[in-house]
Amino acid sequence: MLRFTLERLAGMVVTMALVSVMVFIIMEIPPGDYADRYAFRKFSGTGVSVTEADVAAIRSDLGLDKPMVLRYFDWIGGIVLRGDFGQAFAFETSVVKVIGDKAWLTLGILLTTLLLTYAISVPVGIYAAVKRGSAVDYGLTIFSYLGLALPNFLLALILLYFANKWFGADIGGLFSTRYQDAPWSLGKFWDLVKHLWLPAVVLAWSAVAYQIQTMRATMSDELNRLSVTAARARGVPEGKLLLKYPARLAINPIVSTIGFDVNRIFSELPIVAAVLGLTELGELLLKAYLDLDMYVAGAILLLLTFIIVFMNFVSDLLLAWLDPRIKLGA
Amino acid sequence: MLSVENLSISFHTDEGRITPVQGVSFSVEAGKTLGLVGESGSGKSISTKALMRLLPGNASLSPETRIAYRARDGKTVEIHKIKPGSSSLRHLRGGEIGMIFQEPMASFSPVYTVGNQMMEAIRLHRNCGKREARELAVEMLDKVGISNPADRVDQYPHEMSGGMRQRAMIALALSAGPALLIADEPTTALDVTIQAQVLDLMRGLQRDLGMAMIFITHDLGVIAQIAHEVAVMYLGTIVERGETRDVIRNPKHPYTQGLLKAIPSLETLHDRLSPVPGDIPSPTERPSGCPFHTRCPDFINGICDVNTPVETSPLPGRSVRCWLHNGADSGRSAA
Ligand SMILES: Nc1ncnc2c1ncn2[C@@H]1O[C@H](COP(=O)(O)OP(=O)(O)OP(=O)(O)O)[C@@H](O)[C@H]1O
Ligand SMILES: [Mg+2]
Repeated sequence: MLRFTLERLAGMVVTMALVSVMVFIIMEIPPGDYADRYAFRKFSGTGVSVTEADVAAIRSDLGLDKPMVLRYFDWIGGIVLRGDFGQAFAFETSVVKVIGDKAWLTLGILLTTLLLTYAISVPVGIYAAVKRGSAVDYGLTIFSYLGLALPNFLLALILLYFANKWFGADIGGLFSTRYQDAPWSLGKFWDLVKHLWLPAVVLAWSAVAYQIQTMRATMSDELNRLSVTAARARGVPEGKLLLKYPARLAINPIVSTIGFDVNRIFSELPIVAAVLGLTELGELLLKAYLDLDMYVAGAILLLLTFIIVFMNFVSDLLLAWLDPRIKLGA
Repeated sequence: MLSVENLSISFHTDEGRITPVQGVSFSVEAGKTLGLVGESGSGKSISTKALMRLLPGNASLSPETRIAYRARDGKTVEIHKIKPGSSSLRHLRGGEIGMIFQEPMASFSPVYTVGNQMMEAIRLHRNCGKREARELAVEMLDKVGISNPADRVDQYPHEMSGGMRQRAMIALALSAGPALLIADEPTTALDVTIQAQVLDLMRGLQRDLGMAMIFITHDLGVIAQIAHEVAVMYLGTIVERGETRDVIRNPKHPYTQGLLKAIPSLETLHDRLSPVPGDIPSPTERPSGCPFHTRCPDFINGICDVNTPVETSPLPGRSVRCWLHNGADSGRSAA
């Protein structure tokens, strides 16, 4: 398992290196740079005419005049060695300050959504497979269709209405104002949970519906295996039997699509965030990209891809742990 | 030690209710082997699964079914009444009755080592710790003739050959120390030389451990080698049963006679059985009267296709379900 982990880890590092190059190139693609934009903002309407030399001065101030390769290594070196993601030009501060909170919010929403998705769909899927053909099973199937049919933003609006009614208006953001700058405490954690559940429920909704069906289908297949009957014939208690034998294999397609789920959550997050009044990374990414605020955009892109790559790594490790044949190369 | 009376099994399927096993009665004595022989689909597997209550959820036993098992502690367990999920059922499964299946690969879980699955069974049924269970597992693997058992115990099933896997499966079933072993075609998936070895092994183990055994097969030749008694099944009923030697020497039911006629000599016995002309009807369209009448060479028009024959005893120790033998002692049903 150690060798397998190291191999995958090395793979992850290589992937991230390639991704960082791609991100950097993407940031370079839009015509012009922040120096042009800055000069335009600063002097437009003031009557001062801006010369090429002025812009060049700004450019060298911002360090944008160096060759691209050099700037790439400066950038990635700062990130890897110092955790410094560079300057956020438009905000006149560091990138870390600008995206820090929003990154944690995004990560918090992501993890809560994933946790919620799997904590519901796996046990319910197992239950539906065991009770296959019962009223409960049919009920769950109908729920699944509903879940898949209901658009995210609509659900968000409905939940927002009830959340406002029951919990008061203060539901956007990650913390209430009271806890915003308070040190960590049980109260602050609870405050966080109260804020995370709403976006998490909205984002998990369709995934839960979908994954219940996946789990139910694979679990039904696994339940019919001779090895399950054989284990039952040895007198293994039913609850332990279900978890140890069929469920361990049935969960495989869910674990192997963790990366897809992360991807999907990231792409659905902006619209949900817009409805719920959250400011998360996606919105900032768009703004930064339009502003040619390249290090902000780069940091966000890098962060989002890193999370996806990392979750794929986690999913690989989990798969190998669930099915030892994978790492044995069988 | 085991007595089965009037075992009938129905399935509720999308096409309706089918009853592939009807009124099956047999018994197994301690330390003896009962051979269960019949063509594919005759209900051998589901009949024995019923003994461990392993049938799927859409199956049900008829109210007349009686399955009584005398456990080692002398108590009689009424298996047909036992509650699913009860501790006595868990004790029965594995601890009293062990089972081996036709597909050695499929009967192991691929994601746990052989040792893990053996130790699980051992610890469920014997009061012992982890280390002791492991020692016992190694000992069992050794007993079934697996070399390097101390290494093999940590291998995954896919790291073993087919023959070795079936030996390991036997070790697994025996590791919890059952008093009755059900072997459902344990040699069918193996090639001929390995078959002979596994058969030898099972016969030896049965003698050494003093177990009773139910041995299912298509192959009357295997029955001749291993079983003290034989029950011949056709389309969900037992058409003839008795001591193996007597039945082979002097078969009474036309179906048994057909099966035996197809065997040229008792030494070359490894062909699957499909000797009797005609196809086996599906359980959904069970023939009226005697189920075998559509293929029977001695079919009596107006009787066999109308009335179901009852079990009679034309010879001591023999029961037959056939109208040809009902005349001799009509109506006297053998227990
Ligand atoms: N889950 C099920 N649902 C419906 N019918 C079933 C089910 N399992 C078995 N049957 C029916 O029971 C019949 C007997 O099955 P069984 O497996 O006992 O046959 P068998 O004698 O063991 O055959 P083989 O020699 O091929 O193993 C089958 O033909 C089938 O019609
Ligand atoms: Mg069978």
